[in-house]
Amino acid sequence: MELTLNINGRDHRLSLDPRTTLLDALRDHLGLTGSKKGCDQGQCGACTVHVDGRRILACLTLAAAVQGRPVATVEGLAHGDKLHPMQAAFVEHDAFQCGYCTPGQLMSAVACVHEGHAHDRAAIREHMSGNLCRCGAYPKIVDAIEDAAPKMERG
Amino acid sequence: MADDAGRLYGKPEVRIDGAAKVTGQARYASDEPVANPAYAYLVTSAISRGHITGMDLAAAEAVPGLLDILTHETVGKEAKPPVGPDQKPTTTTLETTQVWHDGQIIAVVVADSFEAAREAAHRVVVHYAPETPSATFDSPGAEAEVRKTDEQHKDPAKGDAPAAFAAAPVKIDARYETPTQHHNPLELFTTTCVWDGPKLTIYEPTQTMYGLKAAVAKQLGMEPADVRTISRYVGGAFGSKGAATSRTVWIAIAARRLKRAVKLVPTRDQAFTIATYRAETRHHLQLAANRDGKLQALIHEGWEVTSRPSSYNVSGTETTARMYACPNIATKVNVVHADRNTPGFMRAPPDTPYMFALESGMDELAHELGMDPIELRRINDTQTDPVDGKPFSSRSLMKCFDAAAAKFGWAKRDPKPGAMRDGDWLVGYGCATSCYPSNIGPAAARLSLTPRGKAVIQLAGHEIGTGAYTTVAITVAGGLGLKVTDIQVFMGDSNLPPVPVAGGSNNAASTAHVAAKACEEIRQKLALAAVQNNAGIFAGADPSKLRLTDGALAGPDGRREPLETAVGRVAGGALEVHVENVPEGLPPDAAAGLYQGKMAMSRGTGRKDVTAYAFGAQFVEVRIHALTREIRTPRIVSAFASGTIVNPLTAYSQYMGGAIWGVSSALHEATEIDLREARYVNDNLADYLVPVNADIDHLDVIFVPEEDSRVNPLGIKGIGEIGIVGMNAAVANAVFHATGKRIRKLPIRIEHLL
Repeated sequence: MELTLNINGRDHRLSLDPRTTLLDALRDHLGLTGSKKGCDQGQCGACTVHVDGRRILACLTLAAAVQGRPVATVEGLAHGDKLHPMQAAFVEHDAFQCGYCTPGQLMSAVACVHEGHAHDRAAIREHMSGNLCRCGAYPKIVDAIEDAAPKMERG
Repeated sequence: MADDAGRLYGKPEVRIDGAAKVTGQARYASDEPVANPAYAYLVTSAISRGHITGMDLAAAEAVPGLLDILTHETVGKEAKPPVGPDQKPTTTTLETTQVWHDGQIIAVVVADSFEAAREAAHRVVVHYAPETPSATFDSPGAEAEVRKTDEQHKDPAKGDAPAAFAAAPVKIDARYETPTQHHNPLELFTTTCVWDGPKLTIYEPTQTMYGLKAAVAKQLGMEPADVRTISRYVGGAFGSKGAATSRTVWIAIAARRLKRAVKLVPTRDQAFTIATYRAETRHHLQLAANRDGKLQALIHEGWEVTSRPSSYNVSGTETTARMYACPNIATKVNVVHADRNTPGFMRAPPDTPYMFALESGMDELAHELGMDPIELRRINDTQTDPVDGKPFSSRSLMKCFDAAAAKFGWAKRDPKPGAMRDGDWLVGYGCATSCYPSNIGPAAARLSLTPRGKAVIQLAGHEIGTGAYTTVAITVAGGLGLKVTDIQVFMGDSNLPPVPVAGGSNNAASTAHVAAKACEEIRQKLALAAVQNNAGIFAGADPSKLRLTDGALAGPDGRREPLETAVGRVAGGALEVHVENVPEGLPPDAAAGLYQGKMAMSRGTGRKDVTAYAFGAQFVEVRIHALTREIRTPRIVSAFASGTIVNPLTAYSQYMGGAIWGVSSALHEATEIDLREARYVNDNLADYLVPVNADIDHLDVIFVPEEDSRVNPLGIKGIGEIGIVGMNAAVANAVFHATGKRIRKLPIRIEHLL
């Protein structure tokens, strides 16, 4: 099927098998490989992206279902060479090791702040629990979000 | 001058690849762009033992976009059988009709799209002649054998342990069990193969660039020079990507048949059966002591599950026999063959299961003696390897216990089990020893330095999350007197000089030493040219006294020559060196073997001069709800002494991740096995439990300073594995303290505490 996806503010015309997930559309058809496939069944969070400003799992979303709706991926967070405050905080706090879950963690972290769930560590931990980190960077992810949240609000 | 390489050690440095990882630009193997790929999907066996009698492919072949189906009949003879993680025979896949285990690869379907390949794979109909499988220990048909000793595996022994055990006044005699565990790195076991004439390029996440290259070349009967492996970033490994697996050659063959790139992204449940895992283990531990706590006998026998054809085992008695001063030691290991895939390396492979037994046993013995568990370890601490009498290169175990105990507040512990309570919560404090042998391997690297003070180092290293790019950059910056930002590091490509497998915690030591050696060669070349140049400021000076510092070649009197002059004198574009480092004690041909994917390793337990281990102490507070028996771990404190710490920022992350792996192992992780079908039941990330963010609360890591000039010249011990080793027992010991219940089988769950 023919469809148009709006990714990080740009329209992309695609011809896809109707079964194509948003994740596979991004990775295999648009070369946007920042979003990761860790389970392909909505259990790990590595594919987390924003649709209409809300976090969703790209592996459980058909590409066809998000036509005409703005999709934001990790590739759209930074402004040129200037990292988003959440990205900068993840680097500074070493809030990752292998980095494979990181795009999903970042998209969830940004959403977590926007949702108003970053007010204390317990709330952050709870609202970041849909994103597995097998390397075990959790305490540093919480540190990074605590650090970045006020900077995002100022920015 | 080699010391200069360590100039910047110990200062926290953010990862030089950090920006790539947070922007989505870091390319993991399946992110690598290849032109017009076809997509592969694996068909795996639905039985655990037996033979394939036929396949109906018509329905699959009718799927639009289907390109090829690889089966035993079509390609089975095109590859030689694989070897297991121990380089010995293992289970096969398409080579024969035999099914060794559930989830074995039996066909590969290739199509124009991922969706078509998946559909066609599900339309393949397989006919089997099934046999009754054996799942695990105690299953009918499972075959036990005593593990033979060899170069790698010994049975440490001394004195007369049975007699000493019988005679001692205080003893414990207990059996422990650890479960099957799967690494579950978040990145799947992907493979992309591309041919260019006779040359094959493989994009696959691996901890062993040269090992994978050599294994695939051997299976396909190719020259290793014609196989290139690329793996710039690995999305978690933990041992699971430490050896070649069966899938790779079939994807290579699929790409060769189609004359087109073929990309495989297997599913999560396939990850449980097409790669390796930590096998379940059993232990019989007997400890005996005098009333003063001094150990008199240690007898440790282990049992480990493996596949039918493989005798892979981890033999952690090598470690447990060396932990404490003890005059009488006996050890033995058995392997039990079942109808399962072959297990392999998983974070601290020998030490994690075996130290659960020993450190639980030490806690039981302390309780029996009415002694504080830390004091029992102090009484039996030793600076000499109890098995063969060699000195430990360094051993700061009790410093770790003291530092962690102080931070944790151990002094507030009421030793009586069940005595500490906070409202509805039973509170328990537990601790255990952690350790990991210090290994180092040969390595090669290419280093260049420009007159403008920019350096590039190239080596086929592995970034599996350890911060490997940054470790090398810090070393080169120190060695050449530059800033970390002046250093570019290229790794993850087998066209670069080889380094060992990124496993066994050898990576930092192996790569830092070769990087330091390369810097020293550049310094020597520049110094020699400078003193031999009559017009230069160092004409006639002693070249050994010249150092590279702050972007200049500097003399002991403070005179400085900018790199532009010093490097420009010998090279217009860049001065480049290619170096190989062979650690002391390894044969001179160890470097040559490296290029052929052979692993020579100077191991902490096999050295002639010393026994080398890193040590640590891990403490945990558990809270168990009096009514529901919910188990929480609000506080974890670990202290480690691992010699020189290259980068405290990433080292903290590794230790912390290890400790979280340990909590996970103690309380969450277990692959459940259907005993009748010999099949993994919870083969997904919702049912295979690992901690989420909400499960981890306060976690402290203490770096206990330690200088070790004997372990290796830079004093680096590994840190990747030690973080997990003590946690199993620390948690179990804390559960005993909270409840009075001694749980000897992991993981510890609510139902064990009712």
